[in-house]
Amino acid sequence: MKRVRYGVFILVSTLLLAGHVNAQSQPPPEGAKVYIIWPGDGQVIRRGKFWLRMGLSGAGVAPAGVDKPNTGHHHVLINTELPALDREIPNDKNHLHFGRGQTEARIELPPGRHTLQLLFGDANHVPHQPPLYSSKITVIVTP
Amino acid sequence: MQLIQRTARAVIPFVTFLSIGTVASAQQHSHAAQAPSPPAVGRRTPAPQDAYVYIGWPNEGQTLNAGRIKMWFGARNIGVAPAGVTFANTGHHHLLINVPIPPLDEPIPNTKNHLHFGAGQTEAYIDLTPGTYTLQLLMGDAEHVPHDPPITSKRITVHVR
Repeated sequence: MKRVRYGVFILVSTLLLAGHVNAQSQPPPEGAKVYIIWPGDGQVIRRGKFWLRMGLSGAGVAPAGVDKPNTGHHHVLINTELPALDREIPNDKNHLHFGRGQTEARIELPPGRHTLQLLFGDANHVPHQPPLYSSKITVIVTP
Repeated sequence: MQLIQRTARAVIPFVTFLSIGTVASAQQHSHAAQAPSPPAVGRRTPAPQDAYVYIGWPNEGQTLNAGRIKMWFGARNIGVAPAGVTFANTGHHHLLINVPIPPLDEPIPNTKNHLHFGAGQTEAYIDLTPGTYTLQLLMGDAEHVPHDPPITSKRITVHVR
């Protein structure tokens, strides 16, 4: 009974919230999209320590393991191509996971040219279908 | 009788905004019936160390064209999780428009001045008519209650023409 009551509570609040949000806040014009807010493509970064800001339109962020529709978590790909899109995103120094729902990451890179790309993953770290990934940008790190 | 109908008509639009709060407090009451509830202050989720939020866009003092305005929300040293998800060091964004910080020991109100982003959104499109507005972010935990201490952005002012 308690579970039923709680289910009704969630349903009612979701409906009310959805109705309310439509009143003031609208969905973005296009479908969901991930993008790198900062740095910009071609950005020169002295000493290579920076906060990378991750942008997301038309979807929400949820920590890894949280299975909710229209959510996922960010992964940062450094100096690598997109991995296989039908399985878990690798977890290594070129594929950083932000499974605690982070939307900013402290990155440290040695001098040189580096590529950065975001790839959104679901509760199980698997890319969505169709996959959501940003364009790949290049940053130049100077000493 | 006519007076009652007129009053009802005036009240109904507000009820839509208030009802989520009402449902939430009804839920709390049913909890209270089962177990004595601890003092509200003690229930607040501790804020992660060094966590802060900021309005990435628009900027303080900016003049914007009326209509649909895109905002993005920055969160540092804290993650985002949808409402209802209890996960360490996370919360979800709320946007306060033209209002001060609400009471910190209860769920953030859900009104046209207190927008909830309980689906884990990190950006929003809001419709603003010409005028001057204040905008401020306030993180809420799984139950929409601000953390302790509260994680709130600077309050910025924008001009819409």
